[in-house]
Amino acid sequence: MAVKTPRGTIFGFLAPAVITLAVVGIVPLLYAFYTSLHFFNLTKLKNVRFIWFENYASVLTDPVFWEAMGRTFAMLLIALPLQIAIGLGIALILHAPGLGFLRLLTRLSLVLPMATTYAVVGLLGQVMFNLKFGVVNQLIGFLGIAPVNWIGDPFNAFAMIIFWDVWQWTPFVALVLLAGLTTVPSEVEEAAHLETKSWWTVLRHVQLPFLMPGLVAVLILRTADTLKLFDMVFTLTRGGPGSSTELISLMIQRVGFRAFDQGVASAQAIILLIITIILAQFYIKAFYKEV
Amino acid sequence: MKFRTCVSTLALTAGLTLGAAQASEWTLEKAAAPYAGTTVDVVFLLRPGYEAAEAMLPEFEAQTGIKVNIVKHPYENALGQQVRDFVANGDFDIALIDLVWIGNFAENDWIVPVSKFTSNPDLADPELDMDDFFPLVLNAFGGWNGEIYGLPFDNYSGLLFYNSCMLEEAGFDGPPETWAELKDVYGPALTKDGKYAFALQSKRNETQSADSFARMLWPFGGSFLDENFRSNLLSEESQAGLKFRQDLMQYMPEGIVSYDHAEAVNAFAQGDVAMITEWSAFYSSLKNPETSKVVDCMKIAPEPKGPAGRKPALGGFSLAVASQADENEQAAAWLFIQWVTSKANAREYLERGGVPARQSVYEMDGVAEAYDFVPALVESWQDGVPEFRPRFAEWPEITEIVQEWGTKMMLGEVTTEEGAKILGERMEAVLEEAGYYSGDKPLAQ
Repeated sequence: MAVKTPRGTIFGFLAPAVITLAVVGIVPLLYAFYTSLHFFNLTKLKNVRFIWFENYASVLTDPVFWEAMGRTFAMLLIALPLQIAIGLGIALILHAPGLGFLRLLTRLSLVLPMATTYAVVGLLGQVMFNLKFGVVNQLIGFLGIAPVNWIGDPFNAFAMIIFWDVWQWTPFVALVLLAGLTTVPSEVEEAAHLETKSWWTVLRHVQLPFLMPGLVAVLILRTADTLKLFDMVFTLTRGGPGSSTELISLMIQRVGFRAFDQGVASAQAIILLIITIILAQFYIKAFYKEV
Repeated sequence: MKFRTCVSTLALTAGLTLGAAQASEWTLEKAAAPYAGTTVDVVFLLRPGYEAAEAMLPEFEAQTGIKVNIVKHPYENALGQQVRDFVANGDFDIALIDLVWIGNFAENDWIVPVSKFTSNPDLADPELDMDDFFPLVLNAFGGWNGEIYGLPFDNYSGLLFYNSCMLEEAGFDGPPETWAELKDVYGPALTKDGKYAFALQSKRNETQSADSFARMLWPFGGSFLDENFRSNLLSEESQAGLKFRQDLMQYMPEGIVSYDHAEAVNAFAQGDVAMITEWSAFYSSLKNPETSKVVDCMKIAPEPKGPAGRKPALGGFSLAVASQADENEQAAAWLFIQWVTSKANAREYLERGGVPARQSVYEMDGVAEAYDFVPALVESWQDGVPEFRPRFAEWPEITEIVQEWGTKMMLGEVTTEEGAKILGERMEAVLEEAGYYSGDKPLAQ
């Protein structure tokens, strides 16, 4: 007969985690929700007042908010497929037999971009893509190409933040997918290779089912990361030129800490959170299946 | 009657003698003695004027025993850092106030009027001489609603820095007198072979509002607001200025909307740009052979005139005592502010790379000769517009709108009319919410 664990013991073990989660995650969230229901400007604290959902109404009807949201999703829709495609390619190459030391070296070097702080990536971008002194323009100059205005042109600046995001996070996707590939039973994979010479067939019908859990994790994590991407873009372009790289997180920071309107910024953040949760649920329902 | 006159004369003489005695007796060491060991916290920017003050600081600390703890921030972070600190009743004892923050800080009671200290003979240096500050600078940087809160510390006026070698090579023997001349005559002649006639720093931050947008409004007779606090950006004059900026862009480097001060100053320092309109504060970096290739060619003139006159950019900072500091800290903070902005220290501050707002220092022998920006600076501080950027509490919100739509105009995403219309509507919405149109707040900027 199983011994029943006393309730106190259960609570004792669970409490530290629950309390930490509540203090670190839930309390600030509740405070943000509280703030979002108020006129709450740090420079006008004498006028703080409860205004129901006015901040939400103003955010949802603000074209600038939707432009920033559109830019963020455009970035997500371009960067994420690139990361998955290139990451899968790298994972498949590293999964192939016979690479030995080169595989180890590649795996190690894949960690480097991920380990680089976002803000440092942005500063690297500023230095490397500087119109006049940047190494990139110097390199393309050797090929006879005129210097490109990477940071000062709206289109180029947007392309550049996508480039740096892909550079930094493709290795993460590659390592997750590589881990997924190692879970494919070797006898199944060998049998598949005996059946067909098409790598696509093997990938589609044998390897992909094992990759799905990792892929869903990648989708959720990278979507959440892109929606809240801030440091790299802030240090690289500060949202400019104009609004061309002002992603939603930069906009929230600008409203909250440069215009000091904490009420509106909180409403924007809550709306972003809701969108992120909906997307995560969608990914899980649409893609996730137990192998 | 005779007796009364005699008593009055005696009293007056006694008062003057006492005052004179007090004046001669007042020393910084004595005034600071009760506050020795006090630490005051202040935000400094990463700019030459602050390095100058920091280099002078050991002398103050040795004389007073007061420790000044400097927290350094780039300009962009300085306001946020201070607002959060004051809201949270934090550590800063001195507020560093850009002229456009003064309304905000004063209306929130985060700073103390200087009268609290100037009326205290133990703390007020008899040599303080408030009249020695350039009146425009004192009122614009440190004053709000008829009250002086801060003393001008890091003081700027927009100046035209020009590369006389490039101009001479192109056949000019002096800088342009007017904006129109700069665009129509100097622009085409100096923009060639990868070099540009002019760079107008226009990055989307306060630089866009102050250095780019406002700089083109005022000389053309435009302004942000009319006398009723309604948007004046669609007026003929404002539009003329904004359209002029668009036209002038053909003589500026590509990507000028991503140029902040550093990029504009650097482009000039490398000899890639013939002229820039920049703050006087950058004089020391442009005169330094380690950071500038154009030391010998660099000359300075007042900003060009527009149809409405010169109206140069006006910017700068004052230091004020924070109300959140306790009494001892307030006294120590005041002594530091008074000392660092004093007449006696103005020359040293200037020699170390700062730009003081004391009139007397610019009249000293050798100063105008040694610092060639002085005549232009003094002239600019006579012609400046205090409300170059409105100084009311709503400016942090309004500047964000100006930055966004000003940049969109420059990028050609909207016309100057479309941009000004939306900008004006949004600006008025902020002012309406603040209570200017309902009469809750006086129309002060």
